[in-house]
Amino acid sequence: MVLNIPYSVKTPHGIKEAAEICLKCGVCCVIEGYSCPAQYDAQFKPTQTYVYDCLGHEEPSGNKNIWQCVSCHKCEEMCPYEVSPVDFIEAMKEQALQGGHAPQSIIGELMQVITTGYAFPITPNTTRQRERLGLEPVKLNHELGIIAEKTGLLELLNSLKEAQD
Amino acid sequence: MRYSFFKGCFIPIRQPHIEKLAHKILPELGVELDTVTGFTCCPEPMGVSLPHKFTGTVISARNLAIAEEKDNDIITLCNGCTYTLKQVNLQLKQDTELRDKVNEVLAETDHQFKGTIKVRHFAKVLSEDIGLEIIRGKVEKPLKGLKVASHTGCHILSPPEVMEFDDPLNPVRLDGMIKALGAEPLDYSYKTQCCGWTLSNFGDRASANRLLGDKLRGMYDAGADSVNVICPQCLAQLDTGQMMAGRALKLDFKLPALFYVQYLALAMGYSLEEVGYGSHRVKDSGFEAKIGGILA
Repeated sequence: MVLNIPYSVKTPHGIKEAAEICLKCGVCCVIEGYSCPAQYDAQFKPTQTYVYDCLGHEEPSGNKNIWQCVSCHKCEEMCPYEVSPVDFIEAMKEQALQGGHAPQSIIGELMQVITTGYAFPITPNTTRQRERLGLEPVKLNHELGIIAEKTGLLELLNSLKEAQD
Repeated sequence: MRYSFFKGCFIPIRQPHIEKLAHKILPELGVELDTVTGFTCCPEPMGVSLPHKFTGTVISARNLAIAEEKDNDIITLCNGCTYTLKQVNLQLKQDTELRDKVNEVLAETDHQFKGTIKVRHFAKVLSEDIGLEIIRGKVEKPLKGLKVASHTGCHILSPPEVMEFDDPLNPVRLDGMIKALGAEPLDYSYKTQCCGWTLSNFGDRASANRLLGDKLRGMYDAGADSVNVICPQCLAQLDTGQMMAGRALKLDFKLPALFYVQYLALAMGYSLEEVGYGSHRVKDSGFEAKIGGILA
């Protein structure tokens, strides 16, 4: 059955209404070597692909599988009907964070970036390797915290943390 | 040509030998790297830009604004950084209403986005701004007989109208760059397949191993001695990831993965030790012997 998915995207200019209409031909996921990397997960089959799972989920922003999407855009490039599953999945990721469905690893990474300026933790190994190579230490930056406070991200992360505690 | 050097997160934190080598090698080709204080994470596209797009846009705009203050284009060493920064740069240049909103937040940090610079991946700088002719002229030790499978990666290719790097379904730019060093570029099955970084981090490790196994097998069957990458996450995946996939799938071969700058340095006469090969997980005596013969 055709998947007809209307959805809303939050844009800087307000809420935009969009839709993806998927005929379920499967090209985005079953052309080996050219299509979706997430299809490698054993839970997906040629008859129930990664893209059908994301588009057809009852509560798409609560579907943890959306986080397997790498935004490689292969689905969009392979689709013969110009459907863009990646746009839908990306919109669901934003909704997931707002709705408290984002995985801890995402919340942790957001916190890490706004408090240190870097997405990856600076470990003793980092310091050691840089010293050995004669490179200056990685400098932390705290300006992103100011940005996150102003955009509302900091408040959102704190409320998600409180809800979790 | 002078550029503001955008190191990103992953290279300075996990692969500083690439940062060190880029600093040493790129100026020899006429690419002057300006060290800029104040740059932060681009931010990382999957974990940071997407879940809260507006914050991601402002963080990118801040980085772009800092480069504008220096009046140099940005040079990156990472597909992800290029993907994030190029998209935001284009969006803010076109959408003045969004730019105003972003600048209102940026004012708090004393920066303003104006839209005066470009974002360049180092592979594009080398192959276009500098040109393959200059690269060929710098080759002291042609990598003759070395068969190299290049993995371009996802985020430098798509969306092609923004990234302007190569054909996403048939990428060949890196093959030309490898050929310029005297090595033999290879076509192989799964050439456009993702490295599996996100799948291994947010999905199931066994699936990521299978993906990588298919890709590596495609390279090996085509006759590859080694792999060429231009992105730090792809390097981590094809190096450390290959070690783990190799164990899980009991692969009977090893394909050392090197960053293009490392191949460039080898062709300029640097040793494996000098290019930081020692810090890689996947090493192969056949590859080392070939390089030994070339450098002898």
